[in-house]
Amino acid sequence: MSRKLFQYLAVLVGLMIVTGVHAAPAAPDPPSNDDCLKCHGKPEATAKLADGEAMSIYVDSDSFAHSVHGGKLACTNCHTNITALPHPPRQFKDRRAMSLAYYESCKQCHFAEYTRLLDGVHYAALEKGKEKAPTCVDCHGSHAMGHPARPRMHISETCAKCHTGVGAAYAKSAHAAGLAKGNPDVPVCTDCHRAHDNSNPMTTASHLRISDLCAHCHTNEKLMAKYGISTDVLTTYLSDFHGLTASFYRSEGLKPAQLTATCTDCHGVHDITWVKGPGSGVIKANLLLRCQHCHKGAGPNFSSAWMGHYEPSLRHAPLVYLAKLFYMFFIPFVVGGLVIQILLHLWRMVVNI
Amino acid sequence: MNEYIQRFSVRQRIEHFTVMVLFLMLGLTGFAQKFFDAPWAVWTITMIGGIDRVRWLHRAAGITFTVFAIFHISIGLFMVLTRRSRPSMIASRKDFLDAITQLRYYLRISDKPASFDRFDYRQKFEYWGMVLGGMLMIATGFMLLYPVIVTRFLPGQFIPVARVAHSNEGLLAFLIVIIWHVFNAHLSPEAFPFDPSIFTGKVTREYMEKEHPLEYARIMGQTEEKQEAQTHEVP
Repeated sequence: MSRKLFQYLAVLVGLMIVTGVHAAPAAPDPPSNDDCLKCHGKPEATAKLADGEAMSIYVDSDSFAHSVHGGKLACTNCHTNITALPHPPRQFKDRRAMSLAYYESCKQCHFAEYTRLLDGVHYAALEKGKEKAPTCVDCHGSHAMGHPARPRMHISETCAKCHTGVGAAYAKSAHAAGLAKGNPDVPVCTDCHRAHDNSNPMTTASHLRISDLCAHCHTNEKLMAKYGISTDVLTTYLSDFHGLTASFYRSEGLKPAQLTATCTDCHGVHDITWVKGPGSGVIKANLLLRCQHCHKGAGPNFSSAWMGHYEPSLRHAPLVYLAKLFYMFFIPFVVGGLVIQILLHLWRMVVNI
Repeated sequence: MNEYIQRFSVRQRIEHFTVMVLFLMLGLTGFAQKFFDAPWAVWTITMIGGIDRVRWLHRAAGITFTVFAIFHISIGLFMVLTRRSRPSMIASRKDFLDAITQLRYYLRISDKPASFDRFDYRQKFEYWGMVLGGMLMIATGFMLLYPVIVTRFLPGQFIPVARVAHSNEGLLAFLIVIIWHVFNAHLSPEAFPFDPSIFTGKVTREYMEKEHPLEYARIMGQTEEKQEAQTHEVP
Protein backbone atom coordinates (compact mmCIF):
# COMPACT_ATOMS: atom_id res chain seq x y z
CA MET A 1 0.00 0.00 0.00
CA SER A 2 2.67 2.49 1.02
CA ARG A 3 4.73 1.47 -1.95
CA LYS A 4 1.86 2.18 -4.31
CA LEU A 5 1.41 5.56 -2.73
CA PHE A 6 5.13 6.27 -3.11
CA GLN A 7 5.00 5.35 -6.78
CA TYR A 8 2.00 7.58 -7.31
CA LEU A 9 3.65 10.51 -5.60
CA ALA A 10 6.88 10.01 -7.54
CA VAL A 11 4.99 10.14 -10.83
CA LEU A 12 3.05 13.16 -9.71
CA VAL A 13 6.16 15.09 -8.64
CA GLY A 14 7.91 14.12 -11.84
CA LEU A 15 5.01 15.39 -13.93
CA MET A 16 4.95 18.63 -12.01
CA ILE A 17 8.63 19.25 -12.62
CA VAL A 18 8.42 18.43 -16.33
CA THR A 19 5.30 20.48 -17.05
CA GLY A 20 6.51 23.30 -14.85
CA VAL A 21 9.72 23.66 -16.78
CA HIS A 22 7.87 23.69 -20.09
CA ALA A 23 4.95 25.89 -19.06
CA ALA A 24 6.83 28.72 -17.32
CA PRO A 25 10.31 29.53 -18.36
CA ALA A 26 12.31 30.88 -15.41
CA ALA A 27 10.70 34.16 -14.31
CA PRO A 28 13.02 37.15 -14.62
CA ASP A 29 14.15 38.67 -11.34
CA PRO A 30 11.76 41.42 -10.22
CA PRO A 31 13.15 44.92 -10.52
CA SER A 32 15.42 45.95 -7.64
CA ASN A 33 14.87 49.04 -5.51
CA ASP A 34 17.60 50.77 -7.45
CA ASP A 35 15.83 49.99 -10.73
CA CYS A 36 12.66 51.63 -9.39
CA LEU A 37 14.49 54.65 -8.09
CA LYS A 38 15.85 55.39 -11.55
CA CYS A 39 12.45 56.96 -12.20
CA HIS A 40 10.85 57.23 -8.75
CA GLY A 41 13.93 58.71 -7.13
CA LYS A 42 13.56 61.95 -9.07
CA PRO A 43 11.81 64.57 -6.89
CA GLU A 44 10.08 66.12 -9.90
CA ALA A 45 8.62 62.83 -11.15
CA THR A 46 4.84 62.93 -11.54
CA ALA A 47 2.15 60.80 -13.10
CA LYS A 48 -1.10 62.00 -14.55
CA LEU A 49 -4.27 60.69 -12.92
CA ALA A 50 -7.58 60.35 -14.68
CA ASP A 51 -8.96 63.37 -12.77
CA GLY A 52 -6.18 65.48 -14.22
CA GLU A 53 -4.03 65.66 -11.11
CA ALA A 54 -0.31 65.39 -11.68
CA MET A 55 0.53 63.23 -8.68
CA SER A 56 4.09 63.06 -7.42
CA ILE A 57 5.47 59.55 -7.77
CA TYR A 58 8.70 60.46 -6.02
CA VAL A 59 9.90 58.11 -3.26
CA ASP A 60 12.47 59.51 -0.85
CA SER A 61 14.89 56.61 -0.57
CA ASP A 62 16.39 58.04 2.62
CA SER A 63 13.12 58.21 4.50
CA PHE A 64 12.24 54.72 3.25
CA ALA A 65 15.58 53.43 4.48
CA HIS A 66 14.79 54.90 7.92
CA SER A 67 11.26 53.55 7.99
CA VAL A 68 10.29 50.36 9.82
CA HIS A 69 10.52 48.48 6.54
CA GLY A 70 13.83 50.02 5.46
CA GLY A 71 16.36 47.32 4.60
CA LYS A 72 13.71 44.64 5.00
CA LEU A 73 11.37 45.05 2.07
CA ALA A 74 11.87 45.67 -1.59
CA CYS A 75 9.52 47.96 -3.57
CA THR A 76 8.03 44.96 -5.36
CA ASN A 77 7.14 43.22 -2.10
CA CYS A 78 4.27 45.65 -1.79
CA HIS A 79 3.94 46.73 -5.41
CA THR A 80 3.51 43.12 -6.41
CA ASN A 81 2.07 43.83 -9.84
CA ILE A 82 5.37 45.33 -11.04
CA THR A 83 7.28 42.37 -12.42
CA ALA A 84 9.32 43.87 -15.22
CA LEU A 85 10.54 47.26 -16.30
CA PRO A 86 9.46 49.41 -17.87
CA HIS A 87 6.05 48.69 -16.34
CA PRO A 88 2.89 49.68 -18.18
CA PRO A 89 1.39 52.96 -16.98
CA ARG A 90 -1.13 52.40 -14.19
CA GLN A 91 -4.54 53.91 -14.57
CA PHE A 92 -6.19 55.40 -11.50
CA LYS A 93 -9.31 57.55 -11.30
CA ASP A 94 -7.75 59.64 -8.58
CA ARG A 95 -5.32 59.59 -5.70
CA ARG A 96 -7.83 57.76 -3.42
CA ALA A 97 -8.38 55.02 -5.99
CA MET A 98 -4.66 54.38 -5.95
CA SER A 99 -4.51 54.08 -2.16
CA LEU A 100 -7.46 51.73 -2.18
CA ALA A 101 -5.83 49.61 -4.87
CA TYR A 102 -2.78 49.05 -2.67
CA TYR A 103 -4.04 48.57 0.89
CA GLU A 104 -4.44 44.83 0.52
CA SER A 105 -0.69 44.51 -0.02
CA CYS A 106 -0.17 44.80 3.72
CA LYS A 107 -2.08 41.63 4.51
CA GLN A 108 0.67 39.54 2.89
CA CYS A 109 2.59 39.99 6.13
CA HIS A 110 0.12 41.64 8.56
CA PHE A 111 -2.71 39.20 8.11
CA ALA A 112 -3.91 39.29 11.73
CA GLU A 113 -4.28 43.07 11.66
CA TYR A 114 -5.99 42.84 8.31
CA THR A 115 -8.63 40.38 9.53
CA ARG A 116 -9.23 42.51 12.62
CA LEU A 117 -9.74 45.48 10.35
CA LEU A 118 -12.48 43.52 8.58
CA ASP A 119 -14.39 43.45 11.89
CA GLY A 120 -14.07 47.19 12.46
CA VAL A 121 -16.27 50.18 11.71
CA HIS A 122 -13.78 51.63 9.24
CA TYR A 123 -13.91 48.62 6.98
CA ALA A 124 -17.70 48.50 7.30
CA ALA A 125 -17.80 52.07 5.98
CA LEU A 126 -15.42 51.22 3.16
CA GLU A 127 -17.53 48.24 2.23
CA LYS A 128 -20.56 50.51 1.96
CA GLY A 129 -18.63 52.50 -0.64
CA LYS A 130 -17.40 55.31 1.58
CA GLU A 131 -14.04 55.80 -0.07
CA LYS A 132 -12.81 58.16 2.62
CA ALA A 133 -12.87 55.40 5.22
CA PRO A 134 -9.29 54.80 6.32
CA THR A 135 -7.24 51.86 5.19
CA CYS A 136 -3.79 50.80 6.43
CA VAL A 137 -1.77 53.60 4.86
CA ASP A 138 -4.10 56.37 6.04
CA CYS A 139 -3.10 55.72 9.63
CA HIS A 140 0.33 54.14 9.20
CA GLY A 141 1.65 56.12 6.24
CA SER A 142 3.39 54.45 3.35
CA HIS A 143 7.06 54.71 2.50
CA ALA A 144 8.17 56.70 5.51
CA MET A 145 6.22 54.56 7.96
CA GLY A 146 7.47 54.68 11.56
CA HIS A 147 6.42 52.60 14.55
CA PRO A 148 2.73 53.46 15.04
CA ALA A 149 3.09 54.02 18.79
CA ARG A 150 6.42 55.82 18.96
CA PRO A 151 6.04 58.29 20.40
CA ARG A 152 2.75 57.22 21.99
CA MET A 153 1.25 60.59 21.26
CA HIS A 154 1.48 59.67 17.60
CA ILE A 155 -1.60 57.48 18.06
CA SER A 156 -3.89 60.25 19.20
CA GLU A 157 -2.53 62.53 16.51
CA THR A 158 -3.20 59.91 13.88
CA CYS A 159 -6.87 59.54 14.84
CA ALA A 160 -7.28 63.29 15.16
CA LYS A 161 -6.39 63.70 11.50
CA CYS A 162 -9.97 62.73 10.69
CA HIS A 163 -11.66 62.87 14.11
CA THR A 164 -10.85 66.52 14.62
CA GLY A 165 -13.65 67.31 17.08
CA VAL A 166 -12.85 64.33 19.25
CA GLY A 167 -9.16 65.09 18.96
CA ALA A 168 -9.68 68.62 20.19
CA ALA A 169 -11.84 67.41 23.09
CA TYR A 170 -9.30 64.78 24.03
CA ALA A 171 -6.51 67.34 23.93
CA LYS A 172 -8.24 69.17 26.81
CA SER A 173 -8.49 66.06 28.96
CA ALA A 174 -6.46 64.98 31.96
CA HIS A 175 -5.37 61.96 29.96
CA ALA A 176 -3.96 64.07 27.10
CA ALA A 177 -2.13 66.28 29.61
CA GLY A 178 -0.37 63.18 30.90
CA LEU A 179 0.32 61.98 27.39
CA ALA A 180 1.97 65.27 26.48
CA LYS A 181 4.36 64.74 29.41
CA GLY A 182 5.21 61.31 28.07
CA ASN A 183 3.30 59.51 30.83
CA PRO A 184 2.80 55.90 29.68
CA ASP A 185 -0.10 55.31 32.13
CA VAL A 186 -2.71 57.40 30.38
CA PRO A 187 -4.96 55.99 27.69
CA VAL A 188 -4.77 57.04 24.05
CA CYS A 189 -7.58 56.49 21.53
CA THR A 190 -6.73 52.86 20.83
CA ASP A 191 -6.75 51.83 24.50
CA CYS A 192 -10.51 52.31 24.60
CA HIS A 193 -11.44 52.05 20.91
CA ARG A 194 -8.89 49.41 19.86
CA ALA A 195 -6.62 49.84 16.89
CA HIS A 196 -7.99 47.75 14.02
CA ASP A 197 -11.28 46.21 15.03
CA ASN A 198 -12.80 49.38 16.45
CA SER A 199 -16.46 48.75 17.12
CA ASN A 200 -19.17 51.35 16.88
CA PRO A 201 -19.04 53.25 20.17
CA MET A 202 -22.56 54.61 19.78
CA THR A 203 -24.42 51.33 20.25
CA THR A 204 -26.20 50.27 23.43
CA ALA A 205 -23.81 47.35 23.82
CA SER A 206 -20.82 49.69 23.65
CA HIS A 207 -22.39 52.06 26.15
CA LEU A 208 -22.88 49.20 28.58
CA ARG A 209 -19.22 48.16 28.23
CA ILE A 210 -17.82 51.60 29.07
CA SER A 211 -17.50 50.92 32.80
CA ASP A 212 -15.30 47.96 31.96
CA LEU A 213 -13.03 50.10 29.81
CA CYS A 214 -12.54 52.69 32.53
CA ALA A 215 -12.28 50.07 35.27
CA HIS A 216 -9.45 48.39 33.44
CA CYS A 217 -7.13 51.11 34.75
CA HIS A 218 -9.25 52.69 37.48
CA THR A 219 -9.45 49.53 39.56
CA ASN A 220 -5.71 48.94 39.29
CA GLU A 221 -4.56 49.83 42.79
CA LYS A 222 -0.89 50.17 41.93
CA LEU A 223 -1.61 52.49 39.05
CA MET A 224 -4.20 54.62 40.84
CA ALA A 225 -2.13 54.97 44.01
CA LYS A 226 0.32 57.05 41.97
CA TYR A 227 -2.36 59.66 41.40
CA GLY A 228 -4.31 59.36 44.66
CA ILE A 229 -7.40 58.14 42.80
CA SER A 230 -9.82 55.82 44.59
CA THR A 231 -10.20 52.32 43.16
CA ASP A 232 -13.69 52.04 44.69
CA VAL A 233 -15.12 53.87 41.71
CA LEU A 234 -16.36 50.73 40.00
CA THR A 235 -17.91 48.99 43.01
CA THR A 236 -19.59 52.17 44.23
CA TYR A 237 -21.01 52.66 40.74
CA LEU A 238 -22.15 49.07 40.33
CA SER A 239 -23.85 48.89 43.72
CA ASP A 240 -25.77 52.10 43.14
CA PHE A 241 -28.89 52.48 41.06
CA HIS A 242 -27.28 53.38 37.73
CA GLY A 243 -24.60 50.70 37.84
CA LEU A 244 -26.96 48.01 39.02
CA THR A 245 -29.30 48.82 36.17
CA ALA A 246 -26.47 48.82 33.64
CA SER A 247 -25.24 45.42 34.86
CA PHE A 248 -28.65 43.89 34.35
CA TYR A 249 -29.17 45.54 30.96
CA ARG A 250 -25.89 44.01 29.92
CA SER A 251 -26.58 40.49 31.14
CA GLU A 252 -30.14 40.56 29.79
CA GLY A 253 -28.98 41.46 26.32
CA LEU A 254 -32.32 43.20 25.74
CA LYS A 255 -32.55 46.65 24.29
CA PRO A 256 -33.54 48.85 27.23
CA ALA A 257 -36.10 51.59 26.71
CA GLN A 258 -33.71 54.12 28.17
CA LEU A 259 -30.01 53.94 28.86
CA THR A 260 -28.70 54.43 32.35
CA ALA A 261 -25.77 56.66 33.24
CA THR A 262 -22.28 55.23 32.97
CA CYS A 263 -18.83 56.74 33.63
CA THR A 264 -18.74 58.91 30.53
CA ASP A 265 -22.22 60.36 31.03
CA CYS A 266 -21.01 62.24 34.09
CA HIS A 267 -17.26 62.50 33.53
CA GLY A 268 -17.38 63.29 29.83
CA VAL A 269 -16.40 61.09 26.94
CA HIS A 270 -13.11 62.45 25.65
CA ASP A 271 -12.67 65.65 27.64
CA ILE A 272 -12.41 63.85 30.97
CA THR A 273 -10.84 66.22 33.45
CA TRP A 274 -9.38 65.82 36.91
CA VAL A 275 -12.47 65.56 39.13
CA LYS A 276 -11.20 68.02 41.70
CA GLY A 277 -10.10 70.67 39.22
CA PRO A 278 -12.15 73.87 38.92
CA GLY A 279 -13.27 73.09 35.37
CA SER A 280 -14.44 69.60 36.25
CA GLY A 281 -17.88 68.65 35.06
CA VAL A 282 -18.51 66.58 38.16
CA ILE A 283 -17.56 68.90 40.99
CA LYS A 284 -20.60 70.00 42.97
CA ALA A 285 -21.00 73.28 41.11
CA ASN A 286 -21.25 71.59 37.72
CA LEU A 287 -22.61 68.15 38.49
CA LEU A 288 -26.25 69.20 38.48
CA LEU A 289 -25.99 70.08 34.79
CA ARG A 290 -24.89 66.52 34.11
CA CYS A 291 -27.78 65.13 36.18
CA GLN A 292 -30.28 67.32 34.39
CA HIS A 293 -29.25 65.82 31.13
CA CYS A 294 -31.41 62.80 32.03
CA HIS A 295 -33.31 63.98 35.14
CA LYS A 296 -35.24 66.86 33.63
CA GLY A 297 -36.30 69.44 36.16
CA ALA A 298 -33.84 68.36 38.85
CA GLY A 299 -33.30 71.11 41.39
CA PRO A 300 -30.09 72.23 43.12
CA ASN A 301 -30.39 69.62 45.88
CA PHE A 302 -30.66 66.76 43.46
CA SER A 303 -27.01 66.17 42.65
CA SER A 304 -26.08 65.47 46.26
CA ALA A 305 -28.32 62.39 46.09
CA TRP A 306 -25.29 60.83 44.42
CA MET A 307 -22.59 60.06 46.98
CA GLY A 308 -19.72 60.78 44.63
CA HIS A 309 -18.22 57.26 44.64
CA TYR A 310 -17.69 57.45 48.40
CA GLU A 311 -18.74 54.73 50.77
CA PRO A 312 -20.92 56.50 53.34
CA SER A 313 -18.97 57.58 56.42
CA LEU A 314 -19.20 60.31 59.05
CA ARG A 315 -17.34 62.55 56.65
CA HIS A 316 -19.09 61.63 53.41
CA ALA A 317 -22.87 61.25 53.54
CA PRO A 318 -23.10 61.03 57.37
CA LEU A 319 -26.89 60.58 57.36
CA VAL A 320 -26.58 57.54 55.14
CA TYR A 321 -23.84 56.18 57.37
CA LEU A 322 -25.95 56.71 60.50
CA ALA A 323 -29.01 55.12 58.90
CA LYS A 324 -26.91 52.06 58.03
CA LEU A 325 -25.47 51.96 61.53
CA PHE A 326 -28.93 52.23 63.06
CA TYR A 327 -30.23 49.23 61.16
CA MET A 328 -27.09 47.29 61.92
CA PHE A 329 -28.19 47.33 65.55
CA PHE A 330 -31.94 47.69 65.18
CA ILE A 331 -32.54 44.59 63.05
CA PRO A 332 -30.65 42.16 65.35
CA PHE A 333 -32.26 43.85 68.37
CA VAL A 334 -35.83 43.36 67.12
CA VAL A 335 -35.28 39.94 65.61
CA GLY A 336 -33.33 38.78 68.67
CA GLY A 337 -36.14 39.98 70.92
CA LEU A 338 -38.71 38.04 68.92
CA VAL A 339 -36.61 34.89 68.97
CA ILE A 340 -36.21 35.16 72.75
CA GLN A 341 -39.99 35.61 73.14
CA ILE A 342 -40.59 32.51 71.00
CA LEU A 343 -38.04 30.46 72.91
CA LEU A 344 -39.44 31.53 76.27
CA HIS A 345 -42.93 30.67 75.10
CA LEU A 346 -41.86 27.21 73.97
CA TRP A 347 -39.78 26.61 77.08
CA ARG A 348 -42.70 27.45 79.34
CA MET A 349 -44.94 25.11 77.41
CA VAL A 350 -42.44 22.31 77.81
CA VAL A 351 -42.15 23.05 81.51
CA ASN A 352 -45.95 22.96 81.88
CA ILE A 353 -46.04 19.45 80.46
CA MET B 1 -74.90 27.37 70.67
CA ASN B 2 -72.59 27.70 67.71
CA GLU B 3 -69.19 26.13 68.21
CA TYR B 4 -67.58 28.87 66.11
CA ILE B 5 -67.27 32.57 66.74
CA GLN B 6 -66.88 35.16 63.99
CA ARG B 7 -63.54 36.86 64.61
CA PHE B 8 -62.71 38.62 61.33
CA SER B 9 -65.02 40.43 58.94
CA VAL B 10 -65.01 39.83 55.20
CA ARG B 11 -63.24 43.15 54.69
CA GLN B 12 -60.50 42.20 57.14
CA ARG B 13 -60.03 38.83 55.47
CA ILE B 14 -59.76 40.43 52.04
CA GLU B 15 -57.28 42.95 53.43
CA HIS B 16 -55.14 40.24 54.94
CA PHE B 17 -55.15 38.20 51.77
CA THR B 18 -54.26 41.20 49.60
CA VAL B 19 -51.50 42.34 51.90
CA MET B 20 -50.13 38.80 52.00
CA VAL B 21 -49.96 38.61 48.20
CA LEU B 22 -48.52 42.13 47.89
CA PHE B 23 -46.00 41.44 50.63
CA LEU B 24 -44.73 38.33 48.86
CA MET B 25 -44.55 40.16 45.56
CA LEU B 26 -42.80 43.20 47.04
CA GLY B 27 -40.43 40.93 48.93
CA LEU B 28 -39.54 38.90 45.88
CA THR B 29 -39.04 41.86 43.54
CA GLY B 30 -37.44 43.96 46.28
CA PHE B 31 -34.92 41.44 47.58
CA ALA B 32 -33.94 40.51 44.04
CA GLN B 33 -32.83 44.14 43.76
CA LYS B 34 -31.32 44.34 47.25
CA PHE B 35 -29.25 41.18 46.77
CA PHE B 36 -28.60 41.81 43.06
CA ASP B 37 -25.28 39.97 43.24
CA ALA B 38 -26.71 36.68 44.45
CA PRO B 39 -27.30 33.97 41.86
CA TRP B 40 -30.91 33.47 42.97
CA ALA B 41 -31.55 37.19 42.49
CA VAL B 42 -30.09 37.19 39.00
CA TRP B 43 -32.14 34.08 38.22
CA THR B 44 -35.33 35.65 39.56
CA ILE B 45 -34.82 38.85 37.60
CA THR B 46 -34.10 36.91 34.43
CA MET B 47 -37.18 34.73 34.94
CA ILE B 48 -39.42 37.75 35.47
CA GLY B 49 -38.02 39.26 32.29
CA GLY B 50 -35.48 41.91 33.15
CA ILE B 51 -34.71 44.53 35.76
CA ASP B 52 -37.11 47.06 34.22
CA ARG B 53 -40.02 44.69 34.54
CA VAL B 54 -39.03 43.73 38.09
CA ARG B 55 -39.01 47.41 39.03
CA TRP B 56 -42.32 48.00 37.31
CA LEU B 57 -43.90 45.14 39.26
CA HIS B 58 -42.35 46.34 42.50
CA ARG B 59 -43.69 49.85 41.96
CA ALA B 60 -47.12 48.66 40.88
CA ALA B 61 -47.34 46.45 43.98
CA GLY B 62 -46.06 49.30 46.14
CA ILE B 63 -48.67 51.72 44.82
CA THR B 64 -51.41 49.11 45.35
CA PHE B 65 -50.12 48.58 48.87
CA THR B 66 -50.28 52.34 49.45
CA VAL B 67 -53.90 52.46 48.29
CA PHE B 68 -54.80 49.60 50.63
CA ALA B 69 -52.95 51.25 53.51
CA ILE B 70 -54.84 54.51 53.03
CA PHE B 71 -58.11 52.63 52.75
CA HIS B 72 -57.34 50.58 55.86
CA ILE B 73 -56.36 53.53 58.01
CA SER B 74 -59.27 55.70 56.82
CA ILE B 75 -61.84 53.02 57.47
CA GLY B 76 -60.29 52.20 60.84
CA LEU B 77 -60.37 55.83 61.91
CA PHE B 78 -63.92 56.21 60.62
CA MET B 79 -65.13 53.13 62.51
CA VAL B 80 -63.49 54.17 65.76
CA LEU B 81 -64.45 57.84 65.56
CA THR B 82 -68.09 57.08 64.78
CA ARG B 83 -68.08 54.49 67.59
CA ARG B 84 -69.02 51.71 65.22
CA SER B 85 -66.10 49.79 66.55
CA ARG B 86 -63.94 49.58 69.64
CA PRO B 87 -60.34 50.79 69.21
CA SER B 88 -59.18 47.28 69.97
CA MET B 89 -55.80 47.62 68.25
CA ILE B 90 -54.71 50.68 70.22
CA ALA B 91 -51.80 49.84 72.49
CA SER B 92 -52.54 50.63 76.11
CA ARG B 93 -51.01 50.49 79.57
CA LYS B 94 -52.56 47.05 79.90
CA ASP B 95 -50.45 45.71 77.01
CA PHE B 96 -47.31 46.89 78.72
CA LEU B 97 -48.37 45.26 81.98
CA ASP B 98 -49.43 42.11 80.08
CA ALA B 99 -45.95 41.84 78.62
CA ILE B 100 -44.43 42.02 82.11
CA THR B 101 -46.96 39.53 83.50
CA GLN B 102 -46.22 37.18 80.61
CA LEU B 103 -42.48 37.55 81.08
CA ARG B 104 -42.86 36.72 84.79
CA TYR B 105 -44.90 33.69 83.76
CA TYR B 106 -42.27 32.60 81.23
CA LEU B 107 -39.53 32.96 83.79
CA ARG B 108 -41.63 31.00 86.32
CA ILE B 109 -41.74 33.90 88.73
CA SER B 110 -45.50 33.63 88.56
CA ASP B 111 -47.80 30.80 87.53
CA LYS B 112 -50.47 32.93 85.97
CA PRO B 113 -50.11 33.97 82.32
CA ALA B 114 -51.57 37.28 81.21
CA SER B 115 -55.14 37.13 79.93
CA PHE B 116 -55.84 39.01 76.77
CA ASP B 117 -58.61 40.97 75.15
CA ARG B 118 -59.27 40.92 71.41
CA PHE B 119 -55.61 41.36 70.50
CA ASP B 120 -52.71 40.47 72.75
CA TYR B 121 -49.55 42.57 73.05
CA ARG B 122 -47.69 40.39 70.54
CA GLN B 123 -50.38 40.86 67.91
CA LYS B 124 -50.46 44.59 68.57
CA PHE B 125 -46.70 44.74 68.27
CA GLU B 126 -46.84 43.00 64.93
CA TYR B 127 -49.74 45.11 63.74
CA TRP B 128 -48.13 48.43 64.65
CA GLY B 129 -44.80 47.24 63.32
CA MET B 130 -46.57 46.55 60.07
CA VAL B 131 -48.40 49.89 60.03
CA LEU B 132 -45.42 52.04 61.02
CA GLY B 133 -42.99 50.02 58.96
CA GLY B 134 -45.43 50.13 56.07
CA MET B 135 -45.68 53.90 56.35
CA LEU B 136 -41.89 54.17 56.33
CA MET B 137 -41.74 51.86 53.31
CA ILE B 138 -44.37 53.92 51.50
CA ALA B 139 -42.63 57.22 52.29
CA THR B 140 -39.14 56.03 51.34
CA GLY B 141 -40.48 54.14 48.34
CA PHE B 142 -42.02 57.30 46.92
CA MET B 143 -38.82 59.21 47.66
CA LEU B 144 -36.93 56.68 45.55
CA LEU B 145 -39.55 56.73 42.83
CA TYR B 146 -39.65 60.54 42.55
CA PRO B 147 -36.19 61.77 43.57
CA VAL B 148 -36.45 64.88 41.38
CA ILE B 149 -39.62 66.07 43.11
CA VAL B 150 -38.48 65.07 46.59
CA THR B 151 -35.17 66.94 46.34
CA ARG B 152 -37.03 70.16 45.60
CA PHE B 153 -38.00 70.10 49.27
CA LEU B 154 -35.42 67.90 50.95
CA PRO B 155 -31.61 67.65 50.85
CA GLY B 156 -30.22 65.31 48.22
CA GLN B 157 -28.66 63.03 50.79
CA PHE B 158 -32.16 61.98 51.86
CA ILE B 159 -32.40 59.87 48.69
CA PRO B 160 -29.57 57.46 49.60
CA VAL B 161 -30.87 57.56 53.19
CA ALA B 162 -34.27 56.52 51.85
CA ARG B 163 -32.59 53.71 49.95
CA VAL B 164 -30.85 52.42 53.08
CA ALA B 165 -34.05 52.75 55.12
CA HIS B 166 -36.27 51.14 52.45
CA SER B 167 -33.87 48.27 51.97
CA ASN B 168 -33.26 47.58 55.67
CA GLU B 169 -36.82 48.17 56.82
CA GLY B 170 -37.93 45.74 54.13
CA LEU B 171 -35.48 43.18 55.40
CA LEU B 172 -36.69 43.72 58.96
CA ALA B 173 -40.33 43.32 57.91
CA PHE B 174 -39.44 40.15 56.06
CA LEU B 175 -37.56 38.72 59.06
CA ILE B 176 -40.41 39.59 61.41
CA VAL B 177 -42.91 37.89 59.15
CA ILE B 178 -40.72 34.85 58.61
CA ILE B 179 -39.80 34.39 62.25
CA TRP B 180 -42.64 35.88 64.22
CA HIS B 181 -45.74 35.65 62.10
CA VAL B 182 -44.97 32.24 60.67
CA PHE B 183 -44.25 30.96 64.18
CA ASN B 184 -47.44 32.36 65.64
CA ALA B 185 -49.69 31.37 62.77
CA HIS B 186 -48.11 28.07 61.78
CA LEU B 187 -45.35 26.62 63.92
CA SER B 188 -46.39 27.38 67.48
CA PRO B 189 -47.91 24.36 69.21
CA GLU B 190 -51.20 26.26 69.59
CA ALA B 191 -51.54 26.98 65.88
CA PHE B 192 -49.66 24.11 64.24
CA PRO B 193 -49.86 23.41 61.37
CA PHE B 194 -51.98 26.35 60.33
CA ASP B 195 -54.30 28.82 61.99
CA PRO B 196 -56.93 29.39 59.30
CA SER B 197 -58.98 31.98 61.18
CA ILE B 198 -57.81 34.96 59.10
CA PHE B 199 -59.02 33.17 55.96
CA THR B 200 -62.25 31.66 57.30
CA GLY B 201 -62.97 34.46 59.72
CA LYS B 202 -64.01 31.94 62.35
CA VAL B 203 -62.38 30.65 65.50
CA THR B 204 -63.51 27.98 67.91
CA ARG B 205 -65.10 28.85 71.20
CA GLU B 206 -62.33 26.91 72.90
CA TYR B 207 -59.69 29.04 71.18
CA MET B 208 -61.39 32.24 72.29
CA GLU B 209 -61.67 31.07 75.89
CA LYS B 210 -58.00 30.25 75.96
CA GLU B 211 -56.38 33.00 73.89
CA HIS B 212 -58.73 35.96 74.23
CA PRO B 213 -60.68 35.34 77.47
CA LEU B 214 -61.48 38.99 78.13
CA GLU B 215 -63.02 39.47 74.70
CA TYR B 216 -64.86 36.18 75.00
CA ALA B 217 -66.35 37.22 78.29
CA ARG B 218 -67.42 40.55 76.82
CA ILE B 219 -69.04 38.92 73.80
CA MET B 220 -70.83 36.42 75.95
CA GLY B 221 -72.07 39.23 78.18
CA GLN B 222 -73.43 41.07 75.18
CA THR B 223 -74.91 37.96 73.70
CA GLU B 224 -76.85 37.30 76.84
CA GLU B 225 -78.11 40.85 76.89
CA LYS B 226 -78.82 41.37 73.21
CA GLN B 227 -78.77 37.93 71.65
CA GLU B 228 -76.54 39.43 69.00
CA ALA B 229 -73.19 38.21 67.92
CA GLN B 230 -70.91 41.13 68.39
CA THR B 231 -69.96 44.53 67.13
CA HIS B 232 -67.56 44.88 64.29
CA GLU B 233 -64.06 45.27 65.37
CA VAL B 234 -61.24 47.21 63.83
CA PRO B 235 -59.11 46.91 62.06
